[in-house]
Order: sequence, then C-alpha cells, then structure tokens
Amino acid sequence: MSTGPHARRARPGRRPRRRAGLAGLATAVVLALVAGCGPAPALPDAVPSPGDLVPSFASQRPPDGAQHLGTGATETVRRMAVRIRNVQCDGLSTGSGFALDAHTLVTNKHVVEDSRSLQVATSDGRDVAVASASVAKVADLAVVRTSEALPSSPTLADADPAEGDDVTVVGYPEGGKLTVTRGTVVGTTDDPLYSTLGKVLVTDASVEPGSSGSAALDDDGRVIGVVYAKTDDGRSLLVPVSTLRSLLDDTAAFTAAPSCAG
Amino acid sequence: MTEAPLPDGPPPAPRPVEAAAGAGAVPTTVPASAPEPPATAEGARTAGRPRRGRRAAVVLAALLVLTVAAGTYLYVATTRWQASSEGWETDARSLGQDVSGLRADLDGATAELTATREQLTKAEDRIDELADEKAQLGDDNAASAQGLGYQQRVSAAAGKVALALDRCVDGQSRLIGYLDDRASYDAKDLARYSDDVDALCDSAKKANDQLQDALDG
Repeated sequence: MSTGPHARRARPGRRPRRRAGLAGLATAVVLALVAGCGPAPALPDAVPSPGDLVPSFASQRPPDGAQHLGTGATETVRRMAVRIRNVQCDGLSTGSGFALDAHTLVTNKHVVEDSRSLQVATSDGRDVAVASASVAKVADLAVVRTSEALPSSPTLADADPAEGDDVTVVGYPEGGKLTVTRGTVVGTTDDPLYSTLGKVLVTDASVEPGSSGSAALDDDGRVIGVVYAKTDDGRSLLVPVSTLRSLLDDTAAFTAAPSCAG
Repeated sequence: MTEAPLPDGPPPAPRPVEAAAGAGAVPTTVPASAPEPPATAEGARTAGRPRRGRRAAVVLAALLVLTVAAGTYLYVATTRWQASSEGWETDARSLGQDVSGLRADLDGATAELTATREQLTKAEDRIDELADEKAQLGDDNAASAQGLGYQQRVSAAAGKVALALDRCVDGQSRLIGYLDDRASYDAKDLARYSDDVDALCDSAKKANDQLQDALDG
C-alpha cells in the first residue's frame, strides 16, 4: 500500500466528513426529538368534580315573567290609591286620594269639606279609620290623617311635568272600581274654578266625578299632580306637584276641614 | 496532475492537541510524559479510532436516553390525557343529565308560574270587584242610615204636628163649650182664649203644611 503524499492527503478529508455526518445525524435526531416533543401537550390538570363546575351562588336574575307577581309598579300604584266616602249631613259623596306616607293621604278640599264623617277604604276593600282632616287655604287640596296604617305610598316628583309627558291617573271615577287611565300633559292654564292659585296642569287623561283627589303619576310612578276637576271638553285639571310640595312644606297652609255639623 | 486543495470550510473548532494529529500536521512539541507519537499518519489513524467510537457511543447513548425519555413522556402524557378526557366526558354527561332535569323542573315551574299569574290576575280582579261591592254596600248603608235618620226626623216631626193639631182641636172644643155658656165667662177672657186657640191652630197648621211639603219632597 502506498503511503505517498497523494494517499495521505486524501484520507484526512474523509474523517471530517464522517464526523460531520455523525454530528448531522445527531443534530437531526435531537431536532426530531425537539420537534416531536415541542407540540406535545403538557400534562393535564386534575378533572374537577361536577359540583365544582356549577356556580355556588344563585343567579340574581328573576325568572322570566316573575316581575309582575305583586311587586311591580302597577301593584304599588294600586295599593296607594284610596276611596273616600264623605257622609254629609244631607247626603254623601265619594272621591279619591292617595297615600303620602303610612298615616297621611292627600285628596281634594271639596272631597272632604262639609262632612259629618269621612270613611276611607283601600283598594283591597280594607277600611282605614280617619283621625283628622285639614284643607288648604289656597288650593283645592286636603290632607287626611289616619289612625291606621296605609298600605303603600308613592314618591313625589321633583318637578312639574313638561308638555307631552305621559300621565297615569289612578282613582275611583263615579265611586266605582279602581281605574287606571292614561294620557299626556297638554299644557298649563289658570284655574278656571279660582280654587287654586297659580297655574294648573291640563291633561287629556279621562276623569269623572269621583276621580277628584286621584294621583296623577309619571312613567316612573311618581306623583306629578292631583286631579281636581275636568273641563267641558273632557280634559282633566291637576294641581301640580310643585304646588303640593310648597303647601306640604308650609304647616300654616292648612286648616281643619269644615264640618256640616258646625 | 496537481492535487487540488480541499475547499475552505468553516474554521475548525478548537480541538485538543492530540486531535490535531489527524490533520497530518506533525506536532512540533510533545509533552514529556506523552507516549512516543506514531512515526506515520497511518499510525495516528489507528490510535484515533477507539476515541471516535467512544464519542459515537456516547452520542448514541445520549440520543437513546433522550428518545426513551421523550417516549416515556409522550406515553405518560397520552395516558393522562386519556384519563382527563374520560373524566371530562363523565362530568359532561353528569352535568348534561342535571341540565336535562333542571330544564324539566324549569318547564314545570314556568307552567306553574303562568298558572299562578293567571290566578293572581283573577284574584286581583275579584278583589277589586269585592272591594267595589263592599264600597257600594257602604254607600248604600250610609244612604240608608241617612234615610233612616230622615224618616226618624219626619216621624218625630209628624208626632209633634199631630200633638199640635190635637191641642188645637182640644182648644177649639173647649172654646165651643165656653161660647155655649158665654154668660158665665168674661167676654175679654173668652176673646183672649179664642186668640190663643187660633194661634195654636195656626202654628199646628203651618207645621202640618211643612210636614206635608217634606213628605212630598
């Protein structure tokens, strides 16, 4: 075998190739392992029990249709309306009213004046004993105190309604069943009966004799006025809530209701 | 033919001194304790083979270890994931059954709610009707009480009118008797008595007229 310069120079060239091949193979295997293990998922977490998958607190959303089970605004409106019977010396009349708080209700002056006795009944027919009645000097408003608690009371609106606002009247027209009528505020006018100072509200909500003292409510169930009369063209007149508020804030604005017995 | 030089490759990595023997370069310095280097390149190749074999064995062993480790991991992971999947499936089926049961309960509760709401509406309407009936009866009672009081007042007035008329008749009867025997009485006294009887009768007649007017009204 020749060991000349030609053979010696050729052999050293194969050894790096083999090493390079081996290194390449190793690199390929490692890369294959890495590539194979790379997408391999991590070990799974422990499977929770079914009880752990269900929220431990109850949903606060009421079931569909349960919103009107006696707790809605309509029921509140119904419960705050009262029917007033004015037994006079030579006859009787009926009117409406609404609770202002647990022992106070608001109605019209002409509903309670000249009475021998006042009898108040709630919407569910319960009689409420009357302790006293007082009437406003400058408006067709009256405040009746009861010795028994009234079932519910609304809140008074902060300001008078604007023209075009919706209005809901809850009362006892003709002394009959509790009735809810709806309409809109038409505008304001001077009191044609000269019973109330300042402007009064005009609405197209239908009212009848017996509706006097009914609460007029806005869409949020707040009192925006008190029905006290109707016009010849079928519109209703309301003492605005601003007048009601100002009178309620002035204790001197009311005097004892006159009695027919003197 | 001229031997072409090998192409330039990447710079050789640092190697131990003995590895340089394979490159054909004769070390210029030899450690004092090192064995005598082979006299030729063939001898150097013969001495380098066991080292390369050991390296290859080490590399292969490392690769084997890596492969076994990766396989083991994949096996464990697959087993765990299978168990997890079965657990989740079990939970899902259990919850599905719960949902099915709750949905049936909800349907039943919704039906009851609907029926209750209808009953509530009817009850409220009935309460309104009863309250209205009670109010109307109260009005009637108040009116009847007022009527009864009126009747009592009318009856009392009628009694007073009857008594006044009776006294009128009695006075007139006495006056007739006095006039039949007028010689026995003073004429002035008879005239005064007659005036009193007339006044009494006028008053009774007015009261009777008022009573008749009230009854007609």
